Amino acid sequence: MSDTHQGAPRESFKVRKARLRAAFIEQLPQRLKEAHQRFAALAPDTIDQARLEDLYIHFHTLKGSCATFGFEQIGDVARTAEERVREAMDAGGAVTSALIETLAGLLAKLDALVLAAGAQTDPDITPSFELPPDVSPPQESTSRSDRLIYLCDDDPDFGAQLAAQLGCFGYRVSVFTSLEVLATAVAEECPSALILDVMFPRDQHGGPKALAAMTAAPESSVPCIFVSCRDDFVARLQAVRAGGNAYCTKPIKMVELLELLDRFTNPHPSEPINVLVVDDDRELAQLHATVLEEAGMVAKAVSDPEQVPRILETFSTDLVLMDMYMPDCSGPELARVLRQMPGHLSLPIIYVSSETDVARQHKALAVGADGFLTKPIEPARLVSEVALRAERMRLLHSLMVRDGLTGLFNHNTIMQYLEIAIANSKRISRPLAFAMIDVDHFKSVNDTYGHPTGDHVLMALSRTLRLRLRDTDVVGRYGGEEFAVVLNGMNAQQARCILEDLRVSFAGVTFHADGQEFHCTFSVGVSVFPIFERPDHLTEAADRALYRAKHAGRNRVEIATAEDLPTLIDAGSTQPDAERHLR
Amino acid sequence: MKILIVDDDPFVGEMAAAILACDGHDCRIVEGGVEALETLASETFELVISDMNMPLMSGLALFAELRERACAIPFILLTGDDPEPLRAEAPGLADCLMKDATLEDSLPKAVARL
Repeated sequence: MSDTHQGAPRESFKVRKARLRAAFIEQLPQRLKEAHQRFAALAPDTIDQARLEDLYIHFHTLKGSCATFGFEQIGDVARTAEERVREAMDAGGAVTSALIETLAGLLAKLDALVLAAGAQTDPDITPSFELPPDVSPPQESTSRSDRLIYLCDDDPDFGAQLAAQLGCFGYRVSVFTSLEVLATAVAEECPSALILDVMFPRDQHGGPKALAAMTAAPESSVPCIFVSCRDDFVARLQAVRAGGNAYCTKPIKMVELLELLDRFTNPHPSEPINVLVVDDDRELAQLHATVLEEAGMVAKAVSDPEQVPRILETFSTDLVLMDMYMPDCSGPELARVLRQMPGHLSLPIIYVSSETDVARQHKALAVGADGFLTKPIEPARLVSEVALRAERMRLLHSLMVRDGLTGLFNHNTIMQYLEIAIANSKRISRPLAFAMIDVDHFKSVNDTYGHPTGDHVLMALSRTLRLRLRDTDVVGRYGGEEFAVVLNGMNAQQARCILEDLRVSFAGVTFHADGQEFHCTFSVGVSVFPIFERPDHLTEAADRALYRAKHAGRNRVEIATAEDLPTLIDAGSTQPDAERHLR
Repeated sequence: MKILIVDDDPFVGEMAAAILACDGHDCRIVEGGVEALETLASETFELVISDMNMPLMSGLALFAELRERACAIPFILLTGDDPEPLRAEAPGLADCLMKDATLEDSLPKAVARL
């Protein structure tokens, strides 16, 4: 960290300070852990000047840096701890049990304050929301934290705001307002990705021109996302010609931008592409499969078209590579069969054939295929055609199943998932908890602070849920201010424990709007499989438990019991109005 | 101005550099007194800003060592404690500042006074 500031000085102080402060908060728990370790090394009723000195320096440094970053409360407690250790050192280095007790108390106080540190306001740059630091830092943000993004926009406010938001998602962002300074910085340290404005004061196409100049050197190929309020063809064309990888129009949709950044800055796609190769020529099918596997994909070869639907059920396929002429069932026929099955409507299909007649190729494409490759195919071309389409499809798919604001699964997707999860739980006989989470008094947040602030509350909740739950849990936005969570393998007690934890953390988040601070809470209704066995029963029981939680004063978790089980199919329609009013 | 910042806490060092960069100063950060002495021996700086409490060598010891080596470079000391006793102890210091949130204001002013 010591010499990295070269080249950064022209970055705005506000942004730089916000970044430093965020990084500082992030490492505070680790620092405190070190203090705990040093403290644990002290043995009562011994003389240990060296360990005391070690602890003294630690508290002293903590005090100084906390004060510098404006965390006065933490600094004050660290000061008290430092003074107590100093006194012991001055008294000859005796580690008394009274000292140990005092320090244990002060460390506990520090723990609590560090947890709440994220909730303190920064006087200069006020991100719309701050989260208390996580007890266990999420893997997601640690892997992103080494990804440096350069953002260049002539509007410093836009830059600072976007940087603060991306910072919340773990990216390191340096903001520039001038393309010349950006070019110098890129030459010094190459970022993982660039975010560039298109229009600059002196040049309508400044962004694309600068990118073209920067990437003229053969060794430099930085992924670049253009952001612009222009949505016209000329601007987009310029961006593409300059080598831009994506184009987002302002106002920026964070979910979309994050999705793109995650893709571009992650050198290895999270999961290999799965390809199903269908060809009646067994050897050719195997050959294509091998070529794809060598390029890091997972490929399955089939020579009998009839087996394809069955394989698709278990092999999560990104793309089907299909021979056009097969004796029992032609490629277009198989494509049509697949297109008529639920779930395969958007499955990418590429035909492979020795057909060179363009008219026939067109006819084959008309029944819903996405491309045409002519045999014999160069291995490199096969790999690139398949990778290109499969990746585009994955992106499209993720945008389709996700909620635009929060990036969580949307209503339909989470309900589909619940169904699958229940079937799974039945099969392996383990419990499952379904939770409905509803922000308390959300309407009044919107009414008081405006909808953008309401959106920030939802984004903060979605982030809290995503970061704090396990990878095996699935979170979705059920609708409005309502979120649904599927906790695999959890019984009622475990679910209550986790959700109570989340409830307390979320209540500790400080929101800022119009220079005011406020807090939000949520209520939770939980239903558990196997008390309830059907998806609709689980959702309805959870909804009823949620209703009870609201009725009992909000900001609490309620577990549905068998009494909540709807005995009649239309039982759900008894109190919908009352429920809506209460929220 | 070319400034050498000495602080064992990289966050505080970066923060000081960020504050001074606003006024166009060129800062270099090192994490200890020994490293500072080595850096000063090979490169020319116009000012040293050092933390007081650091392992191995305190800020004050660094200051004394520099004067011992007949190096008259202006020296600003940062401390987490009350700066008054230090000012009295080492009158040759260009300044001694409290390490807290007021640094944003006090540090550029102290540098401007030089």
